[in-house]
Amino acid sequence: MSEPILSVESVHVSYGRVQAVRDVSFDVPEGGLVALVGANGAGKSSVLAAVSGLVRPASGRILLEGRDVTRWPAHRRVGAGLVLVPEGRQILGTLTVAENLRLGAQRRRRQAAPESEMYELFPVLAERRDLPASALSGGEQQMLAIARAMIAKPRVVLLDEPSMGLAPKMCDEVFAVIEQIRASGVTVVLVEQNARRALRAADTGHVLETGAIAHGGPASELLQDPRVVKAYLGVE
Amino acid sequence: MLQQLANGVFTGSIYALFAIGFTLVFGILRHLNLAHPAVFTAGAFVGIEVATRTAIPVWILFPVVAVFGALAGVLVERIAFRPLRGRDDEHFAGLISSVALGGVVIALLQARYGTEPQSFPREYFPNQLFEIAGIRVTLTQLVTLGLALVLMLGLAWLVSATSLGRAMRAVAENPTAAQVVGVNVGWVTAGTYAMSSALGTVAGALLALNLGQAGRDLGASIELVGFAVIILGGLGSLWGAMAAGVILGLAEALTITYFDSTWKGLVAFALLFAVLVLRPRGLFGHVKVREV
Repeated sequence: MSEPILSVESVHVSYGRVQAVRDVSFDVPEGGLVALVGANGAGKSSVLAAVSGLVRPASGRILLEGRDVTRWPAHRRVGAGLVLVPEGRQILGTLTVAENLRLGAQRRRRQAAPESEMYELFPVLAERRDLPASALSGGEQQMLAIARAMIAKPRVVLLDEPSMGLAPKMCDEVFAVIEQIRASGVTVVLVEQNARRALRAADTGHVLETGAIAHGGPASELLQDPRVVKAYLGVE
Repeated sequence: MLQQLANGVFTGSIYALFAIGFTLVFGILRHLNLAHPAVFTAGAFVGIEVATRTAIPVWILFPVVAVFGALAGVLVERIAFRPLRGRDDEHFAGLISSVALGGVVIALLQARYGTEPQSFPREYFPNQLFEIAGIRVTLTQLVTLGLALVLMLGLAWLVSATSLGRAMRAVAENPTAAQVVGVNVGWVTAGTYAMSSALGTVAGALLALNLGQAGRDLGASIELVGFAVIILGGLGSLWGAMAAGVILGLAEALTITYFDSTWKGLVAFALLFAVLVLRPRGLFGHVKVREV
C-alpha cells in the first residue's frame, strides 16, 4: 500500500483548559473517503480545525504528502491543496458569488479550475454569479462553499458537517456532490452528524467519543458493529 | 463667494485624505488607530526634512513620503495592535495602545526637530497663482486637490476591483472565512496599515506644503475635524469619508465668510451633532452586525 496522502499523528487540541481532542491518529489514503462521526462536541470539528490550520495542536503532527505541515498557517496549507469547507459554510455574504469563487482560486492560481467549470458543475451558481452570496438559500450557500473549495483543485478536501441544517432533498444533493468529488479522484475527509449516511459514503470511518477515537475501521464493518449501531445509528 | 467655496474644497480634500486612511483600517480590521494623527504629523516633518536635505522635486517627494508612511503603518500595527490580538478586549486595548504610541511618535519628533515649527525651504515649490473663472488658486492647491483625487479614486478602485481588494473585503467581513479560503490575513493586515499610513503621511506633507511649515501639533489640529469627517461619512465608508471631508471643508469656508473664523469649529461639530441625531450611522454608513 502506498504512503497515505494525509496523516494525523497523535494530535491533541486544547482550548484553554478544555481538551477537545486527545491523541487522535488516522491515515487517509490517496483518493479515499474517510468519515469522522460522533456526537455533538465529540471533537470532530476540532480535528478538522487542526488539520486545516485554524487551530494549532498542543502536540502531535499533521503530514500532507509526507511533509510536516503542523506549523504551517492555514493559507499555506490551502496553497498546498489542503482545503476546508467549514462548518456553517462561512461564505462571504457581502461578496458576489463570482468573487467568492475567485477568492477560492486565488491561492492556487496555477492549478485552479476556470470559473466556468464550477458553473457547469453547479448550474444554480451560474444564474446567481453576480448576486451577493448572502442572497443564496442555505443549500445554495453550501454548494457555493463546496465550489469555492473545488475551484482550487484541492488534493484533499475537508468537509465539515456539509448537510447540517439542510432540507432532506438538499442533503441528497450534497451527498451526490460528495460522490462526484471522490469520483474525480479528490481525497475527502468528511465530518458528519448523520453517521449512517457518512459511513455509507465512506471507505473508512472513525468514531469519536469525548475527543478520542473510540472505534475505527472499514466503514462497512462499522455500520454492522453493534456498539456503533446502538450509540450512533439507532434502529432504521 | 466662489473663491471661498474653492478654498473649502482644497481644505476638505486634505481632511478627506486624512480620514480615508483612518476609516480604511476601521472598515477592514475594526481597529481604531488613534496613532494616525501622529503618523500624519510625522509625514509632514519627514517631507520637510527630505525636501530640505535633497531638494528633490515635489513629484518624487510624495512617493518618498508615502513609502515612509507605509513602513510606519506596518510598525504601528506590529507595536500597538498585533501583540493584543486574540484578547477579549483586543479592539479597546488597541485603541489605548495606539494613543500611547501616537504620544511616543510625537515625543520622538520633538526630540529630533525640537519644539519650533519646521519650514519647507523657501522657493521649494513655485507657488504660482492661477486665475480660473475668476477664482484664484495656487499651484500648491491644485497639486493638493489632484493628488487627493488620484489617491482616493485609486484606493476605491483597489478595494473594489483587485484581488488584494477582494481579500481585504473578505477579511473585513469574516477573518476566519478569509483564512479558510487561503487569504493570508497577516499580510492583508499589514497591507491595510501600510496604505492607511501612506495616505496619512501624504496628507500631512500636503498640509505642510500648503501652510509652508509644520509644528508638532499639526496632527492635533486636524484630528478632531478628521474624526468628525469619519463619523459624518459613516465609519468604514471610503466614499463617505471623501464626501464628508469636502462637506466639512466647505462648511468651514462658509462659516469664515459669513461669521468669523472662531466659529468654524462650532459649525463642524454642530453638523456632526445634527447628523448623529438624524442619521446615527453617518451619511454613507450602513449598519453591519458583526458575526460572533
